[in-house]
Amino acid sequence: MKKAPLVVIPLFLFSMLVIFLFQGLFSDPRELDSQVKGKPLPEFTLPDLMQPDTTYTPASLKGEVTIVNVWGVWCVTCAVEMPYLTQLKDELGVKFVGLYFDQDLDPDFGTKTLTRVQQEVTSMLRRYGNPYAFNIFDVYRDTSLDLGVTGAPEHFVLDANGVIRMHHIGDINERVWQNKVGPLYQQLVAEANGETGTDIDDTDIKDTGRVGE
Amino acid sequence: MKHLFVLLTLFITFSVFSAEDNFAFDTPAQRAQFLSLTAELRCPMCQNQNIADSDAMIAHDMRRKVYALLKEGKSETEVIDFMKARYGDFVHYQPPVTIATMWLWAAPVLFVIFALLFVVRRKSSAAPQDIKAKLAKADALLEQEKE
Repeated sequence: MKKAPLVVIPLFLFSMLVIFLFQGLFSDPRELDSQVKGKPLPEFTLPDLMQPDTTYTPASLKGEVTIVNVWGVWCVTCAVEMPYLTQLKDELGVKFVGLYFDQDLDPDFGTKTLTRVQQEVTSMLRRYGNPYAFNIFDVYRDTSLDLGVTGAPEHFVLDANGVIRMHHIGDINERVWQNKVGPLYQQLVAEANGETGTDIDDTDIKDTGRVGE
Repeated sequence: MKHLFVLLTLFITFSVFSAEDNFAFDTPAQRAQFLSLTAELRCPMCQNQNIADSDAMIAHDMRRKVYALLKEGKSETEVIDFMKARYGDFVHYQPPVTIATMWLWAAPVLFVIFALLFVVRRKSSAAPQDIKAKLAKADALLEQEKE
């Protein structure tokens, strides 16, 4: 009778340890909890990469489900995913917006001219396809920092109200689209369409509901 | 020989500071703050390096941001909270005490307490039995020797 716990307790502790370590084998240390999920985009006023006179604010990304793709010409994985993103744009009409930042461009010293960056971007887009509706140029990389970006490529899925619904670190390929990003995208598109639909049909009901709140 | 030594020491200092960006501080205290902050903030891109140590672009940018925030007159906690708001608790090497993390401190203490209880209980209950058994054995041996 007395010996039972002596056997059971170490066995229990040992199996807990095994489970814990076994989990560690498959966990990805690069996976971080995103801090921006469920929040609107942080405030920014940034120029267009190609036409620096045009500026964008978070309001520019409202009204349509959008995937913001953080990228740069120096990023190899970005080049790899670009043809697939272009395919998604062409076949499903996904709206991609680039948040471009440059590695070589030192914000404090300006070692690289804007023209040079534009040339590189144009030649890369010509080679791999252009999925972007437009590119926002994060000159000082401040907005990337505010978004919790750690590198490139990273993706932010925004709903029609401009709220970040997913932060995906890494590239979008067929597997990722089918299992992770695609379902959410379809759901958000349906939500957006549903909202406009109900707005027309049940305007009165919705409005009275809001007054109550 | 003396010249060579001076030259060598020069090279050593250069190599130590080559990884750092050039930041000018208002006060030595501010500089100390910057150094301690970059040592305790963790680079979110690289595995287990602080941002002072890392040459990743994100670490460069974070150092730049820490510097800018300190220049604005932000306190150390404000800078840490700023980074936590963007990169989560991961970014700070000092984990906060929450229900999930309190076990880091509690588990060793609990383990020691339970182990002590276990040892004490075993000693007090097992001792008399042990002595009885040993005495019996000794008696048996004595008996054998007599024969």
